[in-house]
Amino acid sequence: MKIDSGDTAWVLASAALVMLMTPALGFFYGGLVRRKNVLSTIMHSFFILCLISVQWVLWGYSLAFGPDKFHIIGGLEWIGLNNVGFTPNPDYAPTIPHQAFMVFQMMFAVITPALISGAFAERQRFKAFVLFSLLWATFVYDPIAHWVWGAGGWLHQLGALDFAGGTVVHISSGVSALVAALVLGRRIGFGKQKVEPHDATMTVLGAALLWFGWFGFNAGSALGAGALATSAFVVTNTATAMAALTWMTVSWWHKKQPSVIGAAAGAVAGLVAITPASGFVNVMGAIVIGFGAGVVCYLAIQLRERIHVDDALDVWAVHGIGGTWGALATGLFATVAINSTAANGLFYGNPKQVLIQLLAIGAAWGWAIVGTFIILKVVNLFVPLRVHEDEEILGLDLSQHGEPAYASINAN
Amino acid sequence: MDATTVIAVICSVVVFAGWLVLPHSPATVKPAVVVSEEREPARVSA
Repeated sequence: MKIDSGDTAWVLASAALVMLMTPALGFFYGGLVRRKNVLSTIMHSFFILCLISVQWVLWGYSLAFGPDKFHIIGGLEWIGLNNVGFTPNPDYAPTIPHQAFMVFQMMFAVITPALISGAFAERQRFKAFVLFSLLWATFVYDPIAHWVWGAGGWLHQLGALDFAGGTVVHISSGVSALVAALVLGRRIGFGKQKVEPHDATMTVLGAALLWFGWFGFNAGSALGAGALATSAFVVTNTATAMAALTWMTVSWWHKKQPSVIGAAAGAVAGLVAITPASGFVNVMGAIVIGFGAGVVCYLAIQLRERIHVDDALDVWAVHGIGGTWGALATGLFATVAINSTAANGLFYGNPKQVLIQLLAIGAAWGWAIVGTFIILKVVNLFVPLRVHEDEEILGLDLSQHGEPAYASINAN
Repeated sequence: MDATTVIAVICSVVVFAGWLVLPHSPATVKPAVVVSEEREPARVSA
């Protein structure tokens, strides 16, 4: 197999773009919390970038993409990147070095547990977070990645479509976030005192950087520099813009003002929803997916507020529901005119694809719920998941890290 | 024109036309909370 320099350059550049998304997520989340918790929130993302980078080369990549075992998990033959060299792997990416594919996938594995951190922001003990993230990446993310993307994975063999991670990344993290929020319980004062974002500008900057990095996430998933990458790039931008417009319109109608944070959250919802579909739908499909994301994710937040679940930064509503909508919409709007190696969706004469997508959605929801619940309970046996009440009131920046984010401003 | 395009056009019309009936100005204006912008330099060790 011959290495294509253009494809390799694009995938490596895309890996760098996706890497940027994790600190960008830290800023997106960091702006939404109170100023006494901003450093701890940013630290969650930054620390996971380090933690999963090491986990992935040691055993994560092998479990997710290694030689198939019973269609549910990769083997340990590729532990420590053994047998993962510079010769292309035809099962995954025939025109780029195997390690280029590996490092691109590493960045997906990094950002996924970082997404969950928004659910338990402002109250989780850092040590518990470290243990949870390592176990979650190993026992929830790696198996689901193998099911959907691994050669021999059972959902892959069934024909489930997930171009860049709607099921693997966003459903798994969003649903796990809901479980984490329920297990940890509400923050002190939740529902009694209003928690305002401490820096909306930081949140908008984080969203903009996420949007930028997402071109690597989706267009990079073409694993080559060509027409499919171009299509993925165009539909990603279109769906994102449409979702931001829709969210802002719905919130303007509902709350009587066009919210800036709402526009940023709507953009992220659109990015999430187009992710699984980005290599399979045309630009008209992207507009519908963006519109749907703006509506359903906004409604999911209203539902979450009504049932008083303290998913602090709405990870479930944006990633869990947005990812579910995107995975379902892939089964509606996919067309072989965009990707001849995939399948048509319902609107192009293949209703069976919707059923396959629903099966993949159900499997990811189920595994994420059960796996996350067990991991949280196991971690809690060794390290309390929550900080003490006085530590929570003081703020996690000082109680967990001993550092204030803003030296002279009263920490509240 | 296929079904996807028809739905996409309807979605776009809903959003764009929706702006015509949205409020021109905020329903309520909350006073801004003023926080001192003066900051003392952070102490750093050499």
